[in-house]
Parts: sequence; structure tokens; C-alpha cells
Amino acid sequence: MIPEPDMPTGQAHAPQVEVVPMGRVNSTAAQVVAANLQALLELDTMVVEPWPEPAQALVAARGQYDAGIILRELATPQGGPLRLGLMGKDLCVAFLTYVLGESQLGGRAAVMSLHRLSEGEGGGRAPRHVMLERAAKVGLHEIAHVLGLEHCRTAGCLMRFSAGLATLDRLNMGFCPACQRDLIRLRMDLPTKAPAR
Amino acid sequence: MSTPLQVLVVDDELAMRESIAAWLIQDGQQAAKAEGGREALAMMEEREFDLALVDIKMPGMDGIELLRRIKEGHPDTLVIIITAYGSIESAVEAMKAGASDYLLKPFDPEHLMLLLEKMGRQRRLMQENQMLRQRLAEGQMAGFEDMVGSSPDMFKVFDQIEEVAATEAPVLIVGETGTGKELVARAIHNRSARSFGPFVAINCGAQSESLLESELFGHERGAFTGAVKARRGRLEMADGGTLFLDEVGEISQKMQVALLRVLEDGSFLRVGGGQPLTSDFRLICATHRNLPELISAGEFRQDFYYRINVFSVSVPPLRRRREDVVPLAEHFIAVFAQETGKAPPGLEDKARRALISYSWPGNVRELRNIMERAVIVSKSGYIGLEQLTFLDEGPKPGSTALSLAEMETEHIRRVLTAHGWNITQAAATLGIDRTTLGRKIKKAGLRSP
Repeated sequence: MIPEPDMPTGQAHAPQVEVVPMGRVNSTAAQVVAANLQALLELDTMVVEPWPEPAQALVAARGQYDAGIILRELATPQGGPLRLGLMGKDLCVAFLTYVLGESQLGGRAAVMSLHRLSEGEGGGRAPRHVMLERAAKVGLHEIAHVLGLEHCRTAGCLMRFSAGLATLDRLNMGFCPACQRDLIRLRMDLPTKAPAR
Repeated sequence: MSTPLQVLVVDDELAMRESIAAWLIQDGQQAAKAEGGREALAMMEEREFDLALVDIKMPGMDGIELLRRIKEGHPDTLVIIITAYGSIESAVEAMKAGASDYLLKPFDPEHLMLLLEKMGRQRRLMQENQMLRQRLAEGQMAGFEDMVGSSPDMFKVFDQIEEVAATEAPVLIVGETGTGKELVARAIHNRSARSFGPFVAINCGAQSESLLESELFGHERGAFTGAVKARRGRLEMADGGTLFLDEVGEISQKMQVALLRVLEDGSFLRVGGGQPLTSDFRLICATHRNLPELISAGEFRQDFYYRINVFSVSVPPLRRRREDVVPLAEHFIAVFAQETGKAPPGLEDKARRALISYSWPGNVRELRNIMERAVIVSKSGYIGLEQLTFLDEGPKPGSTALSLAEMETEHIRRVLTAHGWNITQAAATLGIDRTTLGRKIKKAGLRSP
């Protein structure tokens, strides 16, 4: 969590977004995703204690985890923080072979996977900084969906749909002006600070 | 941003249709869901869909049967067959029955995205094709070719058309009835970036408020008595093109408010509908009425007027551009001669003079009607006075009921009236100098009104 210098000591802090590692997850990736949500979306974000891998979401035949089931587990009631689940394992939905992330449009939760983000060209491994940048982009994209943004057709915008890593790598680390304006408006609907627990 | 696709997801599995629909909505498309074939067909009676994603294996009506029924009743709707049970035979059967593509679940997300983009392009091409065929049939492919004029007033109109066509500004065309306001609107559209989009016209003065509302906004099934089927309105039809509201001065204040909301929000509802729709169109309006006077009288809204009148084009009445009368007459002679299969008849001198001196209360429309009749009735290969039937008859110059002096006086009076008592122009038409005309006016006791 990025500390607030003027926060009184000993006081519980309730963020607007919780990044929830699920199972074994690269902790640096979790911190990078949280930092980017904080910086680009201006949302008070915290990486919470990891949850166990959601066994009930495992689709054994495919060796993947059902993103829809995970979203239902992650969703919080109105007034609570938004949640972004972070998985090390591969994610799927029923009709797609895989998803890099999935979210409730205008809802309360999103989930993303680091599983494919380390793939490099020609089947090798991508450099670490590339994996971390990809993780940040997917996290930003999915939480923007939770805030209410749909996909964007503007080249380079983070809200442009990217099913594959090549298209993901071509996105900028930012939103186009139209999406930025929409984000400002949508963020105003969030509580300034979630109520302390 | 391109217009969202209207997609219908048909799958008997709840989780599958919900997740596909949610994915489509997240992608900015508009998605509806149906549990099976019968529900899907019922929904397609209510509204139009660009694309249907249809599962092949469903209880009752299977996907192939549904595909056939869709192609029969809604041939413009593209269909993609999806299934978890792939076989070459079912793929071939689907494509033969008219499917645009065939997908095996689960499918690669990039493949799905590319397929949706392809379907979107295909729909746009189909719509452009329909638009072009319609315009060819109407003979409206030209820019200025339907408008004839070499008068200074018409050159000004042509310049204004060129200037405003390149923009997206709303245009208000003002002019008397029959001056060609719709032609000006079409010329602007044909020269704009929207020329391959639809040109949708509606005469606001020709129908009641409730009918106009339904024509413009469309309606859902059951919205009112007689609404047995959902219907797209002109606002939707004009998406990507131009909406032309003729006689906009006739619409009620209630409709002005409704239209103003559409122009400001960009969204609207069909009559009886609950789902907001959007349409990207360029607005052109026309009126023969004096809208500022109507605003002063409280009959037209000022805010609506400012919204539709960003750029104004004033089309002159025919009597103010007499140098265009004969070229227009000859243009219509050529048009109607071709239609009737005749050789174009020539215009006799007396007929020319009569055409030039006439007051033209009905403007170009009246001239068109007169020339159409004249071409039909002419037998000698020429059009003379006898073939011309004017709306504002009065005694014709060729009448035998008047003396020579009376005929001259009557003719001078008519020419003066036609030129708004402009002595210089009247003298030019009569073929005499100003002094001579002044003398004849005095002798005949003619006075300007």
C-alpha cells in the first residue's frame, strides 16, 4: 500500500480498491498493479492479505479457473471497496478459450490473470518489466470497466480491447481524452473514502 | 466511433447467453438474449437486429432451422452459428443455409473480436449499397446537376452550398414554396462527407403531430392502436447521413422541444419504447415561413430556432431570377422529352416572352408542371403560347377580347408586377428604354401598388 504521510497512526484505513492476490501470486506484480491504479485512476488502493486459490472456480477439464465464479466471490456490497482479484493461474469464461481479465461492467469486482503475461516472442519468456507493464495495463482496463467504461476504438487507449499480448503491448499506459473525461465523471460516483472497518 | 451492432444471442444455456451478452455490452455493442428459436423470432418481430449469434443445438427449434427462418423473414440480419459440437457436416449445412460464419465454443477472443469487426463492416456495406441503389433510382447522384441557374442569386446559393457542405453545421433553407429547397438540401448532402450515408426527408407540414412523432422517432409494437410491428423512425434511418425536415415551421412546440432534446443529448426513445437509442445525423431544415416573426408571435421556440439555424441559405423566388426561367424551361423540356420518348420541342419566341414575364407564384415547381404538360401536348415540334397553362391566368397576351392598346397596357402591367415595379428590369423585358416605358405608364394611368 502506498502510505499517506498525513494519516494518523493506529487508525484503520479503508481503501476504494482492494487488490486481492488469490493463491500464489507474484507480490511485486500486485504492488505494481496497485500503484498504477492509484496513480492513473486516482483511486485509493491497497494490496490486501492473499486469499486462497478459489477451488470452486476450477474447470478441471480445461485446467483453468472460471472468471465468472471468481467475480461473484469477490463482489462487495454497495459502499464497500471495489475488488480486483489477481490470479497466477489461467482464467476462462464458458465461450472463450481464455481471458486475461474479466470484470463486472459498472459493478463491484474484477479479476485478472498473470498466467499468460510472461509469454515472449517465439514461445520464450518476456522480460520482467514487460510482464509488469502488461499486468498494470490489464488491471487498469478491468477496474475501468468496473467503474463503467466500455471498450474504446481509439488506437492506443487502454480501453481498446486486446485479446492477445501483441495488441496489449501496443496500448499506451493511459486513456484517450474521451475515456479520461468519462472516468472523471464516473469516479465522482464513488465514495471519497470507503467507510473504515 | 462506429455505430454499435444490435446483436441477438440465442442459446438455451443461461450462463452462456448471459456471459456472451455481457461481453458484447462491455465491447460497446447492444445485446439482447433469447432462450430459443421461438423467442428469438418473436423478438425479431419487435425490433431489427444486425447480427444473431445462434447456438446450433437447442431443444425445439434447432439453430439451423432458426437460421433458415431468420433468412426468410429478416434477410438483412447476419447470422453466426455457434456450437460446442463441431462437425464438418453441420458447418457445411449452416453455411449453405445462409450463415455468415460458424464458430466452435470456446472460441479465441481475438477471433471473436475480428469476426465482430467483419460483421460490422459487412452491415455497413449492405446499408451503403441499399442507399446507393435508392439514390440511383431517384436519380439524385449529382451535386448541382438538378439545379439550373446563372443568376447572381443562384450563384450565391451554389457558393453557400459548397461552403456549408464541408461542415457538420445544421442548415436552415428559407424560400417560397416551389423554389427547390429540397434540391438544395440534397446538393448539400451529396457534397458532404455523409454523401454515402442516407438522405432521409420528411415533410413536417403534411401530417398530424402524433403521426409525425411516430414517423420521426419510430414506435415499438403495441405503442398505439395499429402499431402491429416495431418500426424504425426517420431519426434512426438517418444514422450516418442527413435528416431533412421540410416545412419545419409547421411543427408544434411540443415536437420542437422533443427534437431539441435529441439535438442536445444525442439520444431518444421510440414511441412506446424504453431503450435509449442514438443516431448520428446532420440536420438540414427548410421553411417557407418567416420564423423570426413566428418567434415574436410565440409560435416558434427561439432556442430551437438557434439550434437549427447555424447556417442559413436563402433560395430566391423565380420571379427574382428571370434570366434562369428559359434555361430552366429548356432543362425541363429535355427531361420530359426523354421521359415521353419525344424529340425535345423548341420554344417559340412568344412562349419565351410569356414565360419570362409571368409572375410565377408557384416558382420552379409551377414551371416544371407547365413544361411537363406543354411537352405532352405539343404536336408540331414547338411549344407556343397555346401549350402554356399558367396558374395565374389573367387575360393572355393573345386574347381577342382586348383592343391593341388594352393588350399593351395589360402586358405592361403584368411585366411591371412581375418585376416588382422595377422600371429598368421591366423595360429590358419589354425591349424598350426607360423613358419610353415611363411615357406609356403615364399614358395608361398605371400606378404601382
